[in-house]
Amino acid sequence: MSTFDSLGISGSGLLVHRKWLDAVSDNIANINNVTSTDQDAFQERLIVAQAVDYGSGEGGVRVARAEYGSAEGRMVHEPDHPLADANGYVRYPDIDLGDQMTQLIMAQRGYQANLAVVERATTAYQAALQLGKG
Amino acid sequence: MTSPIGGISFPSAVTGLAGVTGTAAPSDAVDRTAAAGDNGFASVLVSSLEELQAKQATSDGLAVQAATGDLRDVHDYMIAANETKLATDMVVTIKNKAVEAFNEILRMPV
Repeated sequence: MSTFDSLGISGSGLLVHRKWLDAVSDNIANINNVTSTDQDAFQERLIVAQAVDYGSGEGGVRVARAEYGSAEGRMVHEPDHPLADANGYVRYPDIDLGDQMTQLIMAQRGYQANLAVVERATTAYQAALQLGKG
Repeated sequence: MTSPIGGISFPSAVTGLAGVTGTAAPSDAVDRTAAAGDNGFASVLVSSLEELQAKQATSDGLAVQAATGDLRDVHDYMIAANETKLATDMVVTIKNKAVEAFNEILRMPV
C-alpha cells in the first residue's frame, strides 16, 4: 500500500483502544444509575474488535460493533427510594466496578503499546533514511 | 550481463556475493528507464512528491481541526504529522542523492 504502513496500522489499534476507553468510562459514569423496575437498567457497553481483513494484506483492526449487557440489571431492595415499586425494589445496572477497572488497565496498556509501536517504527524508518544522508 | 567493472575480479573469498542475485535488477531498471525517457527518474520524483503533498494536506487538515477543537482523535494528528515528516525526509534524501549523482557525472573528466 504505502511506504509507512505500520503507522496507519498502529493508528487503527489506537482508535479501537480509545473507543474501549470511552466504553469503560461510560460504564463507570453510569454505574450508580437507579431506575424503577418497570424500566430497563443502564446496559453495559462492550466493544467488539475485529481484524480489518484476513489475508488480503491490509492490516489493522476496527470496531465491528458495540454490544450491550443485561437490561435487567440487579434488583435491589430499597423501600425508601422514590423510584421503588410496590415491593420496595429498584434496578441498578449489572456492572462490576472491579471488572471495569481491569478493562480500564487493559485498554490503557493496549493504547500505550500501540503508541510504542508508532515510536519504534518511526525510529526504524529514520534510521533507514540516515543511510541515504551519508 | 556486461558490467562496467567486469574487469575487476572479486577475491575468491567473497563468493557469497554471487547469492545476492537481486542486485542485478537495479542496473537493468536503469537501462530501461534511460531508454524510456519519460518513465525515468523525473516521474518517480514527481509521483513521490505528489504522495508527499497528499500527506501534507491530510496533516494540515488535522492541524486545523486540532486548532478549532474538531479533532476527534489526538493520535490521528500525531501519526499524520509523523508520517508527513518521514515522507518529507525521504523525498529530500532521494532528491539530494540524485543531485549528488548528477554532479558526480558533471565532474567527470572528458
